[in-house]
Formats: sequence, structure tokens, C-alpha cells
Amino acid sequence: MAKIELRGVTKRFHGSEAVKEASFTIHDGEFFILVGPSGCGKSTLLNMIVGLEEITEGEIRLDGVRINDVDPKDRNMAMVFQSYALYPHLSVRENMAFPLKLAKLPRAEIDRRVAQAAEILELAEFLARKPAVLSGGQRQRVAMGRAIVREPKVFLLDEPLSNLDAKLRGQMRTEIARLQRRLGTTTIYVTHDQTEAMTLGDRIAVLRRGEVQQIGTPQELYMQPRNLFVAGFIGSPAMNFLPARMIDNRLELPIGSLEISEPMCRRLEATPGPLAAGFRPDHLQIVLSDSRQEGGLHIRGKAEVVEWLGADLFIHSDITLGEFQEIALPEELGLAPEKQHRRTLVARVDPATRVREGDTVSLCLDPRHVLVFDAVSGENMSLELTH
Amino acid sequence: MESGGKGSLERLFWGAGSIVVVAYALIPVAWIISLSLKRTADLSDQRFLPSVVSFENYGVVFHDPQFPPALWNSMSIAGLSTLIAVLLAMFVAYAVVRLEFPGRRLIMAAALAIAMFPPVSIIGPLFNLWRSVGLYDTWAGLILPYITFALPLAIWVLAAFFRQIPWDLEKAARVDGATPLQAFARVIVPLAAPGVFTASILVFIFAWNDFLFAITLTSSNDARTVPAAIAFFTGSSRFEQPTGAIAAASVVVTVPIILLVLMFQRRIVAGLTAGAVKG
Repeated sequence: MAKIELRGVTKRFHGSEAVKEASFTIHDGEFFILVGPSGCGKSTLLNMIVGLEEITEGEIRLDGVRINDVDPKDRNMAMVFQSYALYPHLSVRENMAFPLKLAKLPRAEIDRRVAQAAEILELAEFLARKPAVLSGGQRQRVAMGRAIVREPKVFLLDEPLSNLDAKLRGQMRTEIARLQRRLGTTTIYVTHDQTEAMTLGDRIAVLRRGEVQQIGTPQELYMQPRNLFVAGFIGSPAMNFLPARMIDNRLELPIGSLEISEPMCRRLEATPGPLAAGFRPDHLQIVLSDSRQEGGLHIRGKAEVVEWLGADLFIHSDITLGEFQEIALPEELGLAPEKQHRRTLVARVDPATRVREGDTVSLCLDPRHVLVFDAVSGENMSLELTH
Repeated sequence: MESGGKGSLERLFWGAGSIVVVAYALIPVAWIISLSLKRTADLSDQRFLPSVVSFENYGVVFHDPQFPPALWNSMSIAGLSTLIAVLLAMFVAYAVVRLEFPGRRLIMAAALAIAMFPPVSIIGPLFNLWRSVGLYDTWAGLILPYITFALPLAIWVLAAFFRQIPWDLEKAARVDGATPLQAFARVIVPLAAPGVFTASILVFIFAWNDFLFAITLTSSNDARTVPAAIAFFTGSSRFEQPTGAIAAASVVVTVPIILLVLMFQRRIVAGLTAGAVKG
């Protein structure tokens, strides 16, 4: 059993807040992800949970017991570091046995657990070697092994895959997911990669500038992002954002206008600032010139870039914002437009479509999937209505 | 081999270069050894190698009334200076590398300034000072200046070394269940050892070789070290040049240094920390 509760956890470094009032509960056996761009405080939060950083304010409870002042060695948590942090002067076997020796387990028990972990992680043939001669993936597995031999209450993983190449990363991701399911240990995983977060997590906490933006399952984050930041951060390629405004009970976009429901109208009219509309590349579909889809918003544009990935085809098409005001997107998202007063829309279309760069294409936007945000606060205005 | 011509030329260049450098460095040493093994009568026979190998000079050296105590003084003073200086430098370097506190840079800059300070400029005042406080001609009287002048070197060497240690390892050890002391002793010390050995050897050689302080601040067998003692050699009788004895004494003081370096060079291997972190 390991349930972790955070209550108003805050970390201040020299006056600036690295983590602000984080309050959430990680359930027993859950695979919980902390995700966000670099500098969002996710690693600081992890270090506070494991005890390597002091908690400025608030408290962390493990199974109901306050652990703020418990030494890291007594928290019974195992951590895998981004750098792996293998002891270079010790062999793989000694690395994995290290925490067990410190715990003064009997020799036979140490051997049994190391052998078992080595078998699970397919490290048996490397036990006598030093970390220096291992490949990146093998080192990663040794770090995992050192964590699992202890049979800890909680696993903490700090960007464990970021030093691996893309192929190995995908492979290790599956392995970690399988291992966690097999052991059923509560796991907290820090990453900046939303793909890792989406594929691994039971639940995900999205952080930005030390603040938790939203906590939810991957589906919730994708379908019902609470704000513009979460909407832009989750999903690849990122959501398309356009400035929007309300005119005569219709939502006007630079690409046309949409009919919106009555309650939505009232909500949006109550919003003082500018609006932003967001829609995922999946919801832009290509249409053949002779067929018109009912209710859809049609956009004609030039296919500036065409990316064919086998299972996916991405079309990048430029549109102009016309008389609409530019909206500011959170800079961490890296979505700033390259050209003044223009936006590149990305569409994910059927890969069987024959489109070449430079072709004029007709895209159709499904209005049911358009989310409307308050462009200033970032709040998702359509959220309550979609629930 | 396609690189045949260029490769062998390059090898020739490096081979010849190495021989020149090694010869340049070792010929005086070989000469000293040769002199120390010659009989007194053969000293000026203008041969590089002794015609008859004799250990008579070594006998003279070890029966000399001042050499054995000087050797003991040298070993003790250099050893103690090294121990204290490296221990202090470890604390300083650790603090400078690991802790955030105002004046970190100042400490390193001050250390550098002291290292550049010419010892000869303080030798006169130090002589008077030591005489009035009773440190003249004592071990402590030499150990103190040695520590002072060796510390900056040791601090810089160790700080440079400590910076390369992946400190995640310390955190990892703490999470793995180690107390701060266990983490230091079981993980950091083994990794820092090569740096500590390097610093120790440098400090030891500095103290061992020093002549200026030794000749000025000592007057008897109580604290006189070998480099100073050699200057007082007279030979086995007053009618003899002490050349052979000086050569033998020089060989005797060089041997421990060579042994020290040979013993520890295996431990001063770079790349011991390789593989600890990403690669």
C-alpha cells in the first residue's frame, strides 16, 4: 500500500517559487506522470517527494503519515535518475545489491533478489561487468534493477528515457509499462515528453511554471483540456489555435464562422477579453472538391508542406488572420507563428490521399470539435458544456 | 595498408620525439646514479659508466652523522604536511564545489594569489618570527609554511576533480538507504580517491623538494631535511670532494618519489568515473 498525498506543497528558491501549492493524491498502485516543459518544477516536486529537497510549505503524506521530515533513506522509495547515477566503481551485481546491503539483508536474500531482478530485466549475463562497458539501454535497465530489488513502496523515475535514442526509448517505454503493471507498485514518472506521458500514465499532472494546470487521465487531458496551455501541450502535432470573436451569436474565425449553442453564446459574451479557438489536426479533414460536407467549415488553401509518415499524412497550410488581432500563446509551447499575421494550420488526413506540396486542398473542420478559450486567462470556455 | 607511408612517418616522428624528451629528462638522473656508484678515485675518470661498481658512497652517506636524521626529518615533515594540507584542501574544495555560500570565488582567487606569492619575499621576516616564537629549527616550523604554500595547489586540483564527480550518485545513495556519511564513504570517497592521490603526490613532492625554507629555517639535525643536509656534506675526510656522497644522497632521496609515483599511477587513472552517467 502506498498512497501519496500532497497538500499545498510549495518550494521557494531565493524568493522565487519553483512549485506553487501543489495539492493532489496519488493512489496506490497508480502510474502517475508529472509532465511539463523544462523549468516547470516537475523535478523539484519529485525531489521533494523522495526527500532530496526540503519542502518550504505544505505537507506530503505517505499512507496518511506526514513525511516532510523523514530522511530519504527512511522513506522506502526508489528512484531512477535521468543520468542513471550508477556507481561506476561497482559491478552491475554490486550496484543492484547496494541498497540491500545498506538495509543489512542476509546474504542469501540479497543474492536471490538480485538474481530475480536480473532475470526480469535480462541482465543476468552482465552482472559481473562495470557500468562503463554497458550500452545506454543496459545502464538504464541496471538503474531500474537497483530500484526494483528493494521492493519499495514507491518508484520515482526522473526522465529515465531521455538519454536513449528514439528506437530504444520506445522499447524501454513498453518495458517500463509492463514492469509497473507486473509489480503493481505506485509509480511517479517525470517527463517533458507528452507522448511518454500519454502512453504510460494512468493519470497525468500537467505543470507549468510551478503550478499544476490539470490532472486527469490521458483521455481527459486530450478531450477536455482545462486551459489553452494543456490543450497546446498535449497532442502531437499540437492543436491549431486561431483568434476568434463573437458576432451575432456566431463564432467568427479567420477561416469562417461557426454556429454555436445558446448557453455557449451567453458564456462567451460574458468573456471580456479576446477569444481563441482551438482544434486538433485530427479534426481537419480533406474533402474532394465536388463533395461538400454538411455543417463543416470549409477552408481552401495551399499545401505548403506535406509529411507522409505511413500511417499518417500531415498537411501544413498557411492562412491569413485578416482583420483579426494576433493572440499570445504560452511561450513554452513553442507555437509562436513564423510569419507575421499568418498561421499554419496542420491537418492529419487519410494517408491514402494523394496530395503533393503546392497543391490546392480543401479542408473541412468539424465544428463539434472546436474548443473556445479565453485568450487572456487561457481558460477553456467550452469545458463545462461538453461535460 | 593504405595509410602506410604517412602512418609510419608519423610513428617515426613521435618515436624519435619521445626518445629525445626521455633522454633529455633522464640523462642527468643516469649520470647521478653513475656517479654515486663510482669509487672516489674514479670520480673524474671522464667515463659515463663506472668502471667498477661500488657502493662505498652509499656507505658513507648512511654513516654520515646528519644524513639518516635528515632523511627521517624529510619523510616526516613532507608526510605530515601532505596529510594536513590535503585533508584541509578536501574540506575546502568540497565546500566550494558543493555548497552555495557567499565568497566561494573569493576563496579560490585568494588561494591562487597565495600560490603566486614568491616565498623568498617572506623568508627573512619568517626567520625572525620563528626565532622569537620558538618555531625555528622545529618540524612545525617547516610544516606550517609547506601547508600554506601547498594548500592552494591542493585546493585547485581537488576542486577541479570534485567538479567532475557526478553528484547524482550521492543523491542516489541517499535514496538507496545510505546515511550522509555512508553515501560519502561508500560512493564519493572511492570516486574522489584518484584526485586525492594526485593532490597528495604533488604536495608531497613540493615539500620533499623544498630547499629555500629548509636551509633558512633549520640549523641542526632536529629539523634539517635532506635537500638542506646535502649542502652540508663534507665527504668522508676533509681531503675528499663530497661529489660521490652527494650523488648517492641524491639517488636516495629520488627513489622514494619514483616509488611513490609508480605505486599510485595506477590509481590516478582518468576515466574511473566513466559510465556513471549517460554516455
